[in-house]
Amino acid sequence: MNEQSSFEEHGRRLFAASVDNLDMRVRSRLTQARHAAVDVSTSPRLRFLRLPVWSSAAGVTAAGVLALAIWVGAPLGHPHHTPPVADTQAGLEDLELVASSDENNAAPMEMLQNDIDFYEWAADKTASGDSGNVG
Amino acid sequence: MAGFATLSQAWMAWDGPAPVPEDAVLDHTRELEKFLSEVERRAFRIAQVSLRDEDDALDVVQDAMLKLARNYGSKPSAEWRPLFYRILKNGIRDLQRRRAVRQRLMAWVPGAKEDPDEEAMDPLENVAAGGSDAPELLMRDQAMHQLEISLRGLPARQREAFMLRNFEGLDVAETAKAMGCSEGSVKTHYSRAVHTLREQLGEVW
Repeated sequence: MNEQSSFEEHGRRLFAASVDNLDMRVRSRLTQARHAAVDVSTSPRLRFLRLPVWSSAAGVTAAGVLALAIWVGAPLGHPHHTPPVADTQAGLEDLELVASSDENNAAPMEMLQNDIDFYEWAADKTASGDSGNVG
Repeated sequence: MAGFATLSQAWMAWDGPAPVPEDAVLDHTRELEKFLSEVERRAFRIAQVSLRDEDDALDVVQDAMLKLARNYGSKPSAEWRPLFYRILKNGIRDLQRRRAVRQRLMAWVPGAKEDPDEEAMDPLENVAAGGSDAPELLMRDQAMHQLEISLRGLPARQREAFMLRNFEGLDVAETAKAMGCSEGSVKTHYSRAVHTLREQLGEVW
């Protein structure tokens, strides 16, 4: 081993030893930081960004329209049916509750975000009046 | 009948790909956590050597972790290491720039003092009391302290190249990605850093 590589190896070992000797406060802070970062990586926002490019705004819009229509209980097959105002408001409030996810309750939004394909397809089917062979 | 009356009906008719399996998300999460746990302590020490402040180093590392997870978490894990160190390097530089500006401003304020220079480290601080290895540990801590002082005297690019190549063990290509320069530049910076450090530390070590 020549002098330079011996020098480099010595530096490497010193650094490794200093890393091993980090105190508990620092280790604890690093662990907390890591957990926060992992939480961010699994947040609905990031998972939404991972969707392919083609899941465009149209898909999101279609998903929203379909989800809203089904949630407030207006059957799409009956265009002249108008729910009572109170029922519609209650439905909207329920939807708002579901959509207002926080750190501890992200599942409802994930449902919408992860299944853009499905909602887009369902909206197309609905628009064309073809519900397919159900069952 | 047109459309679907319920979501369940629509799901039953759907023959497209299944939703992203939770297992895949879980694997990705585990992989990210494993990567971060592998690099976090070395990253902290690298930041600490550059910034000379424990809390600042912790903040910069935490910020780098969050940015990696938020902006590059979906990238292949093989790309994470150079990306993470690039984010870390940028964070360290930003903080150093802010400090430099603050120091210039403080110089104009009557009676204000600049940030005190590095306090002399007490080499005994990290040595376990009473152990038979105490002299060896003391020498090791002193040697590392000398190395840190010499590293801080290097130009920033040389210091970065040395720490990424020697401390973190990145290869030349990864170091180039992390530093945002060519592989040739990495080799030059690293070689100059080693040369300078050997000149300064050769006899001490």
